[in-house]
Amino acid sequence: MRIFWVLFKKELRAFFVSPVAYIVLALVMVLSGFSFRAALSVLESAPSEGSIVTWTFHAMWFWLSYFFIFPLLTMRLFAEEKKMGTLETLFTAPVHAWQVVWSKYLAAVFVYCVLWIPSYLNFRFVDWITVSQVEVPVGALKGSYLILLAMGLFNLAIGCFASSLTSNQIIAAVISFTLSLLHFLAGLFIMVVGRRVSETFVDIINYFASMEHIRIFTSGLIDTRPLVYYTSFALLFIALTHQVVEFRRWRP
Amino acid sequence: MIEVQDLTKQYAGRTAVDHISFKVEPGEIVGFLGPNGAGKSTTMRMLSGYMPPSSGRASVNGHDVFQASMEVRRSVGYMPEMAPLYTDMRVKEYLRFRAELKGLSGKTLRQRVGDVMDQCAITDVRRRLIGNLSKGYRQRVALADALVHQPPLLILDEPTNGLDPVQIRHVRELLKNLGPKHTILLSTHILQEVEAICDRVIMIHQGKIRAMDTPDNLTRKLRAASIVQLELQGKGDFVTLLEALPGVRKATEEGGQDGWILFSLRVEARHDAREAIMDLCLREKWKIRELHWQLPSLEDVFVELATTESAKA
Repeated sequence: MRIFWVLFKKELRAFFVSPVAYIVLALVMVLSGFSFRAALSVLESAPSEGSIVTWTFHAMWFWLSYFFIFPLLTMRLFAEEKKMGTLETLFTAPVHAWQVVWSKYLAAVFVYCVLWIPSYLNFRFVDWITVSQVEVPVGALKGSYLILLAMGLFNLAIGCFASSLTSNQIIAAVISFTLSLLHFLAGLFIMVVGRRVSETFVDIINYFASMEHIRIFTSGLIDTRPLVYYTSFALLFIALTHQVVEFRRWRP
Repeated sequence: MIEVQDLTKQYAGRTAVDHISFKVEPGEIVGFLGPNGAGKSTTMRMLSGYMPPSSGRASVNGHDVFQASMEVRRSVGYMPEMAPLYTDMRVKEYLRFRAELKGLSGKTLRQRVGDVMDQCAITDVRRRLIGNLSKGYRQRVALADALVHQPPLLILDEPTNGLDPVQIRHVRELLKNLGPKHTILLSTHILQEVEAICDRVIMIHQGKIRAMDTPDNLTRKLRAASIVQLELQGKGDFVTLLEALPGVRKATEEGGQDGWILFSLRVEARHDAREAIMDLCLREKWKIRELHWQLPSLEDVFVELATTESAKA
């Protein structure tokens, strides 16, 4: 466990010493600012069913930034070490592969969580500036951040896996971006097409449709099924990453 | 300290290391010598627990490199080829990180990091980013990393690669002075290095061990031709007469000045042809101003070994 912490600290440090974390943070801040503004303007014009939380996480701006986060955070993790050859020094020190994989993954998760602090502050500010004129439902807020965390765990695991496959960061980024986006679009498109085919089909798709999950959670409804879905798939991808990293230890 | 038996490594159908066996006793400094791509790095990677052998077995300090990889890694200080390092870390920070990974902590950690920085002469760059250091410094940071947990066995893959002559001498002194507590296996393709510091040489070529002995014995035993140089003045058919001498394989004229002609003769291994040459000169009334017998260096042995092997293949 001590080794894990040493590695975790080093990974976190790598994020904040390089410009990566700050660039992603800036990107997310700007775009969550836009989505927040979009949500406010919806509420400005007419009374609405959704709260400010719902509208923020449904804005186009939000989804625009969302899928760029994962490749940016994860592409470096293994690809860079492979390219530089430092994986060799790392694995000739007495460390286990799981310590390396989890420290990298959880460091990325940590940074990912930090990214959402400014957007949370937006909600606090609106409360403060408007002297509680705009209603910010606490349940919806909790739900939103919970599903964001779950989706983050899932997509970051995909990114980790993609990074372990190659020594080229660009390729890692493209693989992780494509996989994350495919998952999202599959949920989105089949939902649109599926409604014409059959209702059961839509029900099945809704299990993995991120849009649907966001819709449920931002209205304050906490459904355990998506949570289980995302975390179990995250574990699957982490296990795969572990296998890829350990590949060299397999006897040919 | 190291026991290797029938060790083999295959990569995608190519055999990088082909059934090699050897032993290294505690306290020895053993040089692993061979041309590029001979299988040196692969063998070292297997010994340091980085990758498993395809077949055969190897043990370090009594631990099997595959079964007990963690114990092996704890007792080995490994420095990979090209000295890969985290370029965004500072020297001291990197060494502290590596020492922590290797299980050091608290006061011992601080002391060891300070000690190895002094040993490897990198204390003056301890606050610099590794990415901004020259090759020579990086190489020494990697060496400091290998030394930091005081491992009984050091496996160094081309430790002096990229250093300037002064630094090379420094590193050699350092390795020599580590003393009997450390066993060292180092690879190189620089022959003087082996001659300078190693107790024993293992010559490896195309994945197989070609020779294994002390540097002195190796030069003596292997059938490399020695060279006699002579400079003379006179008349006659020098080349034919010289080549007629017993043991002389080939005489070549290598120019000359002021009427003196310089010859170099390739002589059979361990055959001292100097007396015969002297007799010949007296008989033919040649004047002689230089007669010098060059013993084959390890380099000649090595080149001969490598070229004859590749000629056969």
